[in-house]
Amino acid sequence: MKSVAVISLIVLVAASVSAQVPYRRIAAADTDPSSWLTYSGNYQAQRFSALTQINRQNVGQLKTAWVYQMRNAGIVETTPIVADGIMYITEPPSTVTALDVRTGRPLWTYTPNIPPDVIIIGSPPVNRGVAVLDDLVYLATVHTHLIALDRRSGAVRWDTVVDDNKQGYYMTLAPMAIDGKIIIGISGAETGIRGFVDAYDAKTGKRVWRTYTVPAPGEPGSETWGGDSWKNGGGSTWVTGAFDPALNLIYWGTGNPGPDWNGDVRPGDNLYTCALLALDANTGKIKWHFQFTPHDVHDWDATEVPVLFDATINGRARKLVAMANRNAFYYVLDRENGQFLSATQYVKQTWADGIDEKGRPKVKPGTEPSIEGTLVFPDITGGANWYSPSYSPQTKLFYHTAREVATTYYKGEPDYKPGTAYTAGGGRRMDGDVAFAAVKAWEAATGKLRWEFKLLTPPMAGLLSTAGSLVFGGTEEGNFFALDAENGKPLWDLQLGAAIRSNPMSFAVDGKQFVAIPAGSALFVFGL
Amino acid sequence: MFLSILTVSLLALAQNPIELQQGKQLFEGLCADCHGFEGTGGRAPSLNRPTLTRAQDDDSLRAIIRDGIPERGMPRVRRTTDNEQRQLIAYVRSLSRAAPASGVGDPQKGSAVYQRTGCSSCHVIKGEGGTVGPELTIIGTQRGPDYLRQAILDPAAALPNGSQPVPSRNLDEFLPVRIMTREGREVRGARINEDTFTIQVRDSNGQLHSFRKAELRQIEKEFGKSLMPAYKERLSASEVGDLVAYLSSLGGVK
Repeated sequence: MKSVAVISLIVLVAASVSAQVPYRRIAAADTDPSSWLTYSGNYQAQRFSALTQINRQNVGQLKTAWVYQMRNAGIVETTPIVADGIMYITEPPSTVTALDVRTGRPLWTYTPNIPPDVIIIGSPPVNRGVAVLDDLVYLATVHTHLIALDRRSGAVRWDTVVDDNKQGYYMTLAPMAIDGKIIIGISGAETGIRGFVDAYDAKTGKRVWRTYTVPAPGEPGSETWGGDSWKNGGGSTWVTGAFDPALNLIYWGTGNPGPDWNGDVRPGDNLYTCALLALDANTGKIKWHFQFTPHDVHDWDATEVPVLFDATINGRARKLVAMANRNAFYYVLDRENGQFLSATQYVKQTWADGIDEKGRPKVKPGTEPSIEGTLVFPDITGGANWYSPSYSPQTKLFYHTAREVATTYYKGEPDYKPGTAYTAGGGRRMDGDVAFAAVKAWEAATGKLRWEFKLLTPPMAGLLSTAGSLVFGGTEEGNFFALDAENGKPLWDLQLGAAIRSNPMSFAVDGKQFVAIPAGSALFVFGL
Repeated sequence: MFLSILTVSLLALAQNPIELQQGKQLFEGLCADCHGFEGTGGRAPSLNRPTLTRAQDDDSLRAIIRDGIPERGMPRVRRTTDNEQRQLIAYVRSLSRAAPASGVGDPQKGSAVYQRTGCSSCHVIKGEGGTVGPELTIIGTQRGPDYLRQAILDPAAALPNGSQPVPSRNLDEFLPVRIMTREGREVRGARINEDTFTIQVRDSNGQLHSFRKAELRQIEKEFGKSLMPAYKERLSASEVGDLVAYLSSLGGVK
């Protein structure tokens, strides 16, 4: 009897130790491909799976393992997190559900009390997933709370108000867990908020630092804002970034300045909007910044996922960060110091005569929005958007769903009222048969195109590359597909019955690999 | 009583020429592409008539300007401020007082032209006719006379859009496609739907065909063409005028 108790105690201790997701485990995610421990799969945000069981030879035999139907209607943008037999997903707008990873059966679900008059302007009421750290699961909500849940029960451990939803601040992103801290960004540039990136103590929910993306008067960069325009300067930070533990730097993209389509009220470059920030993880201090689109008037947020990788450029080994930017160019920067290395146009654009040697676009005159409308490529949602690209360390290719669309951009009246739309214009997208997209694969270090696979219409769906030499992606018409990572040849596809507006991910359980993708209001899991 | 209040409010709005001018400028940027300059209609219904079916009062007109009518293919082109909405309402209301287009045809004669020409072999009105082309039962509320005239004279110039309840990102509807299978069989018909990997086509006999693209030798999408013949040479100007008047009358629009 006594020995049984001792044994069960040991089992219990062992289970509780192995049940944790400590920081060092996330940092070593590449050595644990059965799990998916952070939004983009690893801190480098590569969305690459080292699993090889599903590969070029057998992908044609993929079958549905299980399907989970969301409890709530709405667009599903979640990337599941998988650890220790449990999958954590979010459902629109801000519900967390834990599923048995073997069967899809729910283990617990948590929905915060979202007030009926919650202000969500600038996007649908979506959520892209949770973060996990140790024994907690972290949720960023549309009513601007950051909430920590017990990962075994869904019980609330702490609940912190990040900012005032009445002013238009809200959240849709998956938080990022680093050593002892939870990093979040904010949505709301369409209501004239002042954007920021925050770090919270993972155990207590106390804010550790806040870095505004729009400087106040007297701070560096404030000279790039005319008058009081900085107060409603936007610069939201609504997509999860990347992290380099060795450099201790967080890489985070920033969104459009406010108001979106009428730049007259905010003369100047409008730092640090439409930029990539490298933030000291301890203090939040801006180590360097790179602005892709100075004084943006087309809503070309730079909130696309920044991808970290190392490569040799011109004979020199470099630590790099790359972004397929919404403005139609693919940028490669040195991630230690922000030095601009190259920009390559990857979709049709009509707004710039290229990028100069410092990385600044040479803007064509007459491309700004107007009352009667100005037709410009790329479109208002860009050549890229929030959905994820993928980088394969095997092929050294950067995979991206490239959108080929134009928009007629309109300039409107700037009218700031707290908590209401402060956009001053908008656009009409040229969709239909003239709009299309392609999955493109280019050399990550140079931007040189290797292959492309055309899609009928431009989706809002990301990509996953795998060590099985596959690239998984989705379409607006509901096709989930796998391409050969080497040459783009289609190997498998299945109609899932509704638009795919999310990113694929992969995991393994009991020695079997699976691929998961949301479509419509359901999450599909496929295996051999 | 109601009418006189409406008249007074219209007059009050009309008394602000700057507001009207700003409304006109906004309208020409955001609305004229589909509703025609001065609201004479086109791809979208005409607005220069006394009663707008879906916008009989200013609140419902404001809601349409603010949100569009997505299920009918009208987008919210962009967010508008209260002020911009007021200017657009003032301008749209002012259009109804413009004189209606004169010299149009006789709907009754147009109905006879419709029968005589055999339009019903491809189009349905009130349940009768063929399904190769778009349903026309309420076409008068959906398209303006200029658009209808062009669709008769030169149908390839603008394929239907928003005429089908298939959510397909505004792809051209009734797009002619010519398909060659690997076995050398040719199928020509109108595209019903399509995705990256498959295509669905209805031929002139009403037969539905579904293909996986990987199994086809060739797919030719015939942009700039229509399965409907052009009636430029086949109908007289007065016949076309009568036919347009008839089609414009469908759907209860006076």
